[in-house]
Amino acid sequence: MRVILILIKKEFLQVFRNSLLWKILLLAPLAEFLLFPYTADYEIKNVHIAFVDHDRSSMTSGILSKFSASQYFINHGVVDSRKKAEAMMQADEIDFIIEFPTNFERSVVTMEPTKIGITANAINTVKAGLGSEYVQRVLADYLMDLSAAAESPLQPKVAQLVTTNVYWFNEQMNYKNLIVPGLLIILVTLIGAYVTALNIVREKELGTIEQVNVTPIKKWQFLLGKMIPFWILGMAEFCAGLVIMKLMFGISIQGSLLLLLGITAIYLLVMLGLGFFISSMAGNQLQAMFIVFFLFILFVMLSGVFTPIEGMPEWAKYINYANPMSFFMTAVKTVILKGSTVESIRTQFIVLSVMAVVLNTAALLSYRDKVQ
Amino acid sequence: MRLPFRQQEAKDSLYSIEVKGLTKCFGEFTAVDHISFEVKKGEIFGFLGANGAGKTTAIRMLCSLLQPTSGEAMVAGYDLATQPKLIKRHIGYMSQKFSLYDDLTIFENMQLFGTIYGISRKELKDRIFSSLEMLNLEDKSKTLVSSIPLGWKQKLSFATAMLHRPDIVFLDEPTSGVDPIVRREFWNLIYEAASNGVTIFVTTHYMDEAEYCGRISIMANGQLKLIGTPTELKEQMQVDSIEKVFVKYVVR
Repeated sequence: MRVILILIKKEFLQVFRNSLLWKILLLAPLAEFLLFPYTADYEIKNVHIAFVDHDRSSMTSGILSKFSASQYFINHGVVDSRKKAEAMMQADEIDFIIEFPTNFERSVVTMEPTKIGITANAINTVKAGLGSEYVQRVLADYLMDLSAAAESPLQPKVAQLVTTNVYWFNEQMNYKNLIVPGLLIILVTLIGAYVTALNIVREKELGTIEQVNVTPIKKWQFLLGKMIPFWILGMAEFCAGLVIMKLMFGISIQGSLLLLLGITAIYLLVMLGLGFFISSMAGNQLQAMFIVFFLFILFVMLSGVFTPIEGMPEWAKYINYANPMSFFMTAVKTVILKGSTVESIRTQFIVLSVMAVVLNTAALLSYRDKVQ
Repeated sequence: MRLPFRQQEAKDSLYSIEVKGLTKCFGEFTAVDHISFEVKKGEIFGFLGANGAGKTTAIRMLCSLLQPTSGEAMVAGYDLATQPKLIKRHIGYMSQKFSLYDDLTIFENMQLFGTIYGISRKELKDRIFSSLEMLNLEDKSKTLVSSIPLGWKQKLSFATAMLHRPDIVFLDEPTSGVDPIVRREFWNLIYEAASNGVTIFVTTHYMDEAEYCGRISIMANGQLKLIGTPTELKEQMQVDSIEKVFVKYVVR
């Protein structure tokens, strides 16, 4: 016990004396939280649109002003010809072309079928997708207003057009609610795997690990002496992240805080075990960094932190069964945003616990106090 | 099957290190080639050889930091193959490269290693301060190791390796790169330890230091070429200094 305690003390002394590491641990979460949620936002503003109007009726100018009034669009007005509009899109000046056919107004009033042409610049697929949804909404809105004012038989037909989307658990479709918990997870992962792996490999490089190995220290003492300090740091970092999340973004935890901390504690063990395991494979810090970086990117891309898992192909979902970050992400999101209870994240608890046991056993077995 | 050899006699044997056919191969390259020798208890045993002769490899195997390819050894009365933890408890090791923690203070380093060896809190404190006193470093205990000169670092490494009062201490080029005054101080420490019955196993490049040793051995190309007291070796080779013995041998 005294051995473990002195090892923990040593590790903390080193972390706090290493001014750079200490600053990184402190500043990284702040910087991530300050920058990321604002830049990695899927909400689209400033959609540039232009019109090709073959009708030139009061209805088309009504629709035009409706678009001008919307905060999502920047209206470039009516362009003389389709060709000119396409040239503008080629030059990347506009994202959408909205084309009214001749006799548009008359067709609408007489309820003849007619079509509005919407052409989207799909270089930015997100913008194209969400933008066309916005365009349709504005159009539907206009027709609603129109039919309400006219009390015409148009009403039932238009009403069918209007769809209402309610996003559960993220009602304002606020992406910060998704990104911020994602950032928390990334932080915990980095501390767990990166810092631990690099720390141990650094001791190999400096030769200090040999001075420890020549003592009668036991493997598990060494392992715990490394893991406990970084586990504490990881938990502290996670808690700091939760505070920032609440203060800066007003996201409060819907579920139990204890539950959240519990699953994080287990996830950190998985990552520490992974970091330790990697350190026994890597000969120097560069190798360790590449291995962790590769796994990290793989975990992040598949985890659903930034992209929905539902949209991934089947094989990717299978890979995700081995991705601890994916399980942790699901658990954290549901506890923070949905307020889930223990029962609903039982799978995540079990899977992460098994992973923790497997990886730490592997770490213990692969650690060599003697060069072969 | 490997049997612990002469384990019974070893406890009260004359020798603190007995090596038989110890070998280490790295792939095709044989770094240490069937070396056999004995070191008596309380002896200062000098291990000489050119760079790359295999001295460090041999020491690391004896400290159970490196797995031998073949051969056997008894260190401090314990079998290297089966009792590495017991060996580690009874030896001290100072590596060629300074390997205490730079970002800890002198006291913290000694406290860390002393605690790992299981020395009680109070006893450890006494031992640390008495050894710092011996090194004239008692007022530097709160200094970070990164900011002290190499000569002090070497003395500190030695003191740390001696904290748990080992039976044998392995010193791998302890005086390389330090000034003559520190070298003399260092050898005084070695003599002091040897007079307390500690076996000293030391490698060096300095031929004058070789003369201080009770017995010396010369390694070349992984093999042990010569072994004996400095006087014996000089007589055998008919020269007047160990340096000439060394040069004559390595050139041959």
